[in-house]
Amino acid sequence: MSPAQIRFATLWRREVNRFMKIKKQTLGAPLLETFLYISVFGAALGSRIKELHGIEYIVFVIPGLIMMALAINSFANNASSILQQKFQGAIQDQLSSPASPLELLLAFTFGGFMRGLIVAGLTFIVASLLVDLPVDHVLVLIPSLFLVGFFFSQLGVLTGVRAEQFDDVAFVQTFVLTPLIFLGGVFYSATLLPEPFETLTHFNPIYYMINLIRYGFVGFSEVSVALSLLALTAATAALFAVNLRLFSKGYKLRA
Amino acid sequence: MSKALNVEDLVKRYPTGVEALRGVSLEIAPGELFALLGPNGAGKSTLIHCATGLAQPTSGAIQVFGHDAIRDYSEARQAVGLAPQELNLDWFLTVEETLDYHAGYFGMPKRERRERTKELLETFSLTEKSDERTRTLSGGMKRRLILARAMMHRPRLLILDEPTAGVDVELRLELWHYVQRINQEGTSILLTTHYLEEAEQLCDRIAFINDGQIVGEGTSSELAARYGVDSLEDAYLALVGRKELSRSHAEVTAI
Repeated sequence: MSPAQIRFATLWRREVNRFMKIKKQTLGAPLLETFLYISVFGAALGSRIKELHGIEYIVFVIPGLIMMALAINSFANNASSILQQKFQGAIQDQLSSPASPLELLLAFTFGGFMRGLIVAGLTFIVASLLVDLPVDHVLVLIPSLFLVGFFFSQLGVLTGVRAEQFDDVAFVQTFVLTPLIFLGGVFYSATLLPEPFETLTHFNPIYYMINLIRYGFVGFSEVSVALSLLALTAATAALFAVNLRLFSKGYKLRA
Repeated sequence: MSKALNVEDLVKRYPTGVEALRGVSLEIAPGELFALLGPNGAGKSTLIHCATGLAQPTSGAIQVFGHDAIRDYSEARQAVGLAPQELNLDWFLTVEETLDYHAGYFGMPKRERRERTKELLETFSLTEKSDERTRTLSGGMKRRLILARAMMHRPRLLILDEPTAGVDVELRLELWHYVQRINQEGTSILLTTHYLEEAEQLCDRIAFINDGQIVGEGTSSELAARYGVDSLEDAYLALVGRKELSRSHAEVTAI
């Protein structure tokens, strides 16, 4: 390995090591949460709402839960990790190393990305054991999962860099992301909503992400898959460009 | 041969308008042990942060062994080891991981990292603590670990920002011996301290910094002769002020 490869691998390893050391909180808790959602919505609601758009209700819900696990964990990991290191001052060790802004950004990004993928992957495995979950469009599903994970990892990095206290991270997660995810149609179809809520849902970017993942699994989407993929790619690229600029300028990282 | 550190007319102005460095120039020759003395807020840490990439100068130039700290930051940072004043250790890492990760950030291969970690753990009497998390260490142990971490990648210029602040007599003497030994082995050292005695005993040359400017520079006897006083202490008094000296002198005599 070249020195640059060693450097990048170590920066990334540090991020993965952090969440693996607190597995109960970073992997166990999200899995339990998802399992509880499946139980409540599958067993309780599922007995009343048999089908949505011809798909068994629990099967309709699970792709959204997988997307939610991926998004929240990618985001929370990076936002917390960066803010914690800023508080401790430990981030100075990475910042005073020869690592480039791009290397630092990608290493922080992939930490949360890995955690998101692990939780989403485990959710998929558990869900597959409980219900018959199809994977209809793997060529849409895989890029969609990667894009969603990368987008929320980037958002976590941005929030962690900007944050000055844990309240700042909690605010974004509790008052922005969670409502957008819940109102983005994880548990229901937007077509069931009365106006103006059905139309308003179309202004929620997470609605399109949920539909992409749902299409990948069950082959059903309420919106254009191609347009959603394109918009998600553009949004992820734009967020990455913003973060790279902030890292290059040392915004809130270097004095 | 390039200077170990070459600072030319360095200015650092924070967005708040505070000017921490107001045209600082100084040179440290290869193999030199150089002390930078000054009261709190004089600009010592800002200067160090500019040399290590933790702060970005407003104007002026700073080079480490001929590498510009901004343009050739990778090469410049590779040549510097920083032991900061704050105990900025990563709580999630063990003692051994702290050293291993740091060396990884600097691109050192695994086998070399393992050997170097073992060597420095022994040198700093940390071998028995190698598997313990950094947050469980005593203040003195943390100080040793920070110095060991700064030495991991074999820097040619070691920057010690108040390394003996708040440490007991035994550790202070141990650190002094170590600093002298690695300096004799060829490592250039920039030491900031409040303790005149420390600077006088250890360093070849001394610079006084006050209010963001170098106000005096030379050997201890040169400085005393230049200002027509008997000792370094009196020279410091003349240049920096009585208030700061009385505080730091009281600390020295108290131990």
